[in-house]
Amino acid sequence: MEEQEHAHPRYILIWVVLLVLTLAEVGYAFMDLPKIWLAIGLIIMAVWKALLVALYYMHLIYEPKRLWVLAVSPLPLAVILVLAVITEF
Amino acid sequence: MSNAAVATMERKPMPGMKVYNKKLGMWVFLLSEVMFFTSLIGSYIILRFAHPEHWTNPGVVLNVPLTATNTFLLICSSVTMVKAFAAIQQGDVTGLKRWLLATIVIGAGFVGIQMVEYVALSGEGFLPALDAYHAVGRGNPHEGPSLGGPLYGATFYAMTGFHGAHVSIGVLCLIFVYIQAVRGKYTLADHEGVEIIGLYWHFVDLVWIILFTIVYLI
Amino acid sequence: MSMTTTSEAHTAHAEEHHELGFIRTYIFSTDHKMIARQFLFTALLFLLLGGALAVLIRWQLGFPGQPLPGGGILPETMAPGGIILPEFYNSLVTMHATFMVFFALMPLMAGVFGNLLIPLQIGADDMAFPRLNMASFWITPVAGFMMLASFFVEGGAAGAGWTSYAPLSASGEWTGVYLGQQLWLASLIVLGFSSITGAINYVCTVINMRAPGMTWFRIPLATWSLFITAWLLLLAIPILTGGLILLLFDQTIGTAFFRPEGSGEPLLWQHIFWFFGHPEVYILILPAMGFVSEVIACRSRKPIFGYHSMVVALVSIAFLGWVVWGHHMFQSGMNPLLGMTFVVTTVVIAVPSAIKTFNWMGTLWRGDIHYDTPLLHAVSFVALFIIGGLSGIFMASAPVDIYIHDTYFIVAHLHYVLVGGSLFGIFAGITFWYPKMFGRMMNEGLGKVHWALSFIFYNLAFFPMHNLGVQGMMRRIYDPNQYEYLQSLQPTNTFISINVFLFAAVQAIFAFNFLWSLKKGKVAGNNPWKSNTLLWTTPSPPPHGNFPEMPIVYRGPYEYSSPEVEEDYYPQDRPPPLSSSGGHTVEVPNPEPVPGD
Repeated sequence: MEEQEHAHPRYILIWVVLLVLTLAEVGYAFMDLPKIWLAIGLIIMAVWKALLVALYYMHLIYEPKRLWVLAVSPLPLAVILVLAVITEF
Repeated sequence: MSNAAVATMERKPMPGMKVYNKKLGMWVFLLSEVMFFTSLIGSYIILRFAHPEHWTNPGVVLNVPLTATNTFLLICSSVTMVKAFAAIQQGDVTGLKRWLLATIVIGAGFVGIQMVEYVALSGEGFLPALDAYHAVGRGNPHEGPSLGGPLYGATFYAMTGFHGAHVSIGVLCLIFVYIQAVRGKYTLADHEGVEIIGLYWHFVDLVWIILFTIVYLI
Repeated sequence: MSMTTTSEAHTAHAEEHHELGFIRTYIFSTDHKMIARQFLFTALLFLLLGGALAVLIRWQLGFPGQPLPGGGILPETMAPGGIILPEFYNSLVTMHATFMVFFALMPLMAGVFGNLLIPLQIGADDMAFPRLNMASFWITPVAGFMMLASFFVEGGAAGAGWTSYAPLSASGEWTGVYLGQQLWLASLIVLGFSSITGAINYVCTVINMRAPGMTWFRIPLATWSLFITAWLLLLAIPILTGGLILLLFDQTIGTAFFRPEGSGEPLLWQHIFWFFGHPEVYILILPAMGFVSEVIACRSRKPIFGYHSMVVALVSIAFLGWVVWGHHMFQSGMNPLLGMTFVVTTVVIAVPSAIKTFNWMGTLWRGDIHYDTPLLHAVSFVALFIIGGLSGIFMASAPVDIYIHDTYFIVAHLHYVLVGGSLFGIFAGITFWYPKMFGRMMNEGLGKVHWALSFIFYNLAFFPMHNLGVQGMMRRIYDPNQYEYLQSLQPTNTFISINVFLFAAVQAIFAFNFLWSLKKGKVAGNNPWKSNTLLWTTPSPPPHGNFPEMPIVYRGPYEYSSPEVEEDYYPQDRPPPLSSSGGHTVEVPNPEPVPGD
């Protein structure tokens, strides 16, 4: 398998970053900020964590780029559905 | 390429996605899972925009410290899973078994803690049904006013419940993979099954990362 | 699964099959061709059931209040004295559509032809995941049984329309249907797994298992359309599944996702349903377009006109199909600004369909046309799809839709695309690929009679519905005569009903032809239609493993009447003639080794 031919991602380092981000999220959530800034900040942190899992634990960073295209394909659809329907309210 | 060479060449399929079938299959399956969770999470987001009064501030009804710990546990299980895969990549079957077992235990623990959480919440009146909902919040007396509204309960249990179901199925699959590992089915050269259960498990962790944020913290 | 290069392994494989026994060969088979046959028989049975339900609907509309001949066998809860009750009528319109869309058309399009065509047209020995394929089939009769059972429970079958709008569908107190609606929801949740697992197989097989030389732009259009359809299934069905689950919760555990009394949002259901529902209708038509392309090119002995634009059109329809769903909801009370964007996207999506239509016509133009049954059905598809598409343009305009939404104009449109389009496309596919599936030709005479009578009665039945709609007759209505302004339409309704009965009766010719030809049809040989695709290089029917060794592909699938060869077809796997002087070499992309597998 190709993965043996290149350096292991540093799994433990990623784990520490995930832990730090989780703690940061919990701390941030209880700060006294307008709701919109809370939401944006939390989503950024959540997406950052999700990307770390996807790229390193799921090894997407080592896979052919064409698999990346496949992997992201549902996301625009999800965004379109939610954003369009939110305009109803 | 000349015709003579073509006639004698070894026939292999077109390179395609350049990943083996089972891995491609798991990725493609995960795309459908993204859409499934989109419908549940999207419904939650839309209903929350429509009726924000049904929700409370974070931590009032839901137990953030407990779930933050649970989130940490699930992330740990992703690490043990990836260590299991790294082990068999080196041909280390003992390591594979050890790390798989750790993943199973932590995964089962996640589900267990979630069930404890569900029991506590329903005891506090936080339920999905319209008529049954009367959430009094953490540590509040039972006769307290109802906090939030039934959409809070309905969307909460739908999203976390289906996620929990996916974790449970993942644990069962991991047990199957563990049994296969014990029977010596995975080697340095052939361990596709480990990689693909790993992908599923990380995906389940990824969904939780999103869910934890938007359900418990926003 | 790796291919061997000798035929000895193939023989061994065949012998191995011989020892598999009846159950593993016919019941729990992992061979894609057997699974295709299983889907075919199941789907045709459900098509028959869906048609029977339509006949009942048309009896009520054509001969209102009159006892149905033989209706005495129906229970009192459905049709006392043979007279259909309004509640049962609601179930009829719901279940007719449900069985037709989910249990007939989808299995026919994806289950039958996806399974039959994909491996054979790309040069693979089977699907990527044969056991998953087997599971994918067996889920369908289980879901079908649940759906059938709903007729026999207390309260009867679901009666909220195939679109199951909330709040009507969210609580039994409005329809009197409790368990029936829940079974409907549960059945479709289960069926979704069949579609998703099938789609995974089709996507992976087409991506990873193409024979050497089978580049993307040498793939036949039937496989292209099935590949695109698989993507739509993969991404749209889970959305429906989520929505069905939430609706089932509303029905069973008392949540209020869609029930206004609990601050639920009925419009949310519509958005979820149609976000699935619009890609769904492309799932129902794109494969038929693929079949029609194959048949028209082959039977005109001409390359398909504009092969690349055909592929681009398929992909464009698939992309655009995700952003037009609101056109089903113009009258729902949705945000008008959002509605306007859907008008624009809906009009735009007509363009790639039009490109395909012109390309089919361009293919036929000055072709050496063989007017056999598959071609007749394929050309009918084009003509009737044009009519269905044109009525769609009217509906795309929100102001026009104010008048025609939920009228028989819509019923006319949907039947022109689903029957005139999909069903005739399926007839083209079945008559064209029957020889490969069963080793014998269907009878041409009977085929032509079936086609002609179907075409005539179909149009006589459905064209007048455009007028009914414009005159104001609403859909799903039990008794239009309760409104004075609709009473003058009764003769038209009766006329329509008679033609529907005749159309239904004529299908007996097809059924007879199908069954009779299994044993008595002319033996087919490998390539009776002289087609170019890899599928026709195999015996009829093909053995396990399909090809003795993996084929090599040298050209596209539409080299008909090529100047390079004497015959009017040039199969994809025939090596070009060896060069004498000047070095004629062939471009075969050198396949890289595939990691792992």
